[in-house]
Amino acid sequence: MNLAEICRELSLEVRTGAGRLEREVTGGYASDLLSCVMARAQAGNIWVTLQAHPNIVAVASLLNLAGIVITEGVIPDEATVSKAEEEGVVLLLTPLTTFAVVGKLARMGIAAA
Amino acid sequence: MDESQEALCALRSIADPDLAHWSACMRELSLHILDALENSLAAGATRVELAIDEDTVADRLHITIQDNGRGMSPEQVARVFDPFYTTRRTRHVGLGLPLFQAAARRCNGDVSISSQEGQGTRLEATFQHSHIDRAPLGDMTRTLMAFLLGGTCDLHYRHRVDERIFEFDTAEIRAELGDVPLNHPAVRRWLQEFISAGEGTLTR
Repeated sequence: MNLAEICRELSLEVRTGAGRLEREVTGGYASDLLSCVMARAQAGNIWVTLQAHPNIVAVASLLNLAGIVITEGVIPDEATVSKAEEEGVVLLLTPLTTFAVVGKLARMGIAAA
Repeated sequence: MDESQEALCALRSIADPDLAHWSACMRELSLHILDALENSLAAGATRVELAIDEDTVADRLHITIQDNGRGMSPEQVARVFDPFYTTRRTRHVGLGLPLFQAAARRCNGDVSISSQEGQGTRLEATFQHSHIDRAPLGDMTRTLMAFLLGGTCDLHYRHRVDERIFEFDTAEIRAELGDVPLNHPAVRRWLQEFISAGEGTLTR
């Protein structure tokens, strides 16, 4: 399962990283605490969160995550978007809640990190 | 969730601003600050001093809010971080301060309250500045505008980031304005610009 299929199924808006959607997703992790993501998420995972500040890009980059789904209709600011573009981090947006997104991903067969 | 459910979700957020407020608190400290400022207003404060101190060398973020409201008894102060203690009459849960304290404690910091009945209340919040879970300060301009336009309470604001300082006092601004209220459209526009520019000088 790659990011492109996930985007299609969940109608996610691709905010950055349109050229990186062929990436295979190895699993998923959901938390709004960056310390937890640092401890648990694995390379190639998709991270689901309502956080949208520039530090999420640093985390995604450090852990080599497949991408970040920013939930609840939160719009990342310019600083986050330009950092993501610089670092090649995929930011996907949705008005859905984290719970709803995780449910859909699980039903699509994405395993927990 | 289909489109109609999504639309309903969005509508609920508008109808109940608390919904949007609480999730936003996870993302920005400015909303915790606004919450605390609203507590000061509810206590009848006519003057609030808000100081934000970012010291990247000592790696500390320090927020102080001092008001001249009615203050609290020792019994009330003892309960202020209890989520089941609130002065609101519409519900029995008050989450603002407990959540602010939880946020600070996650970041090697804390929130403490001291108060004297008839004299006012002081809130002090500290965070390890570089802690990975420390939410950004966020949009202080929006927070300050919301506070200032909501009433007639004066505000002394000081935001320091290392050697850079942005400071203003609405008492001085009101003195300059004379009869013109702070929420006059032209004044509002000026205030927004002034605060936004001032905050901008701190981050360069």
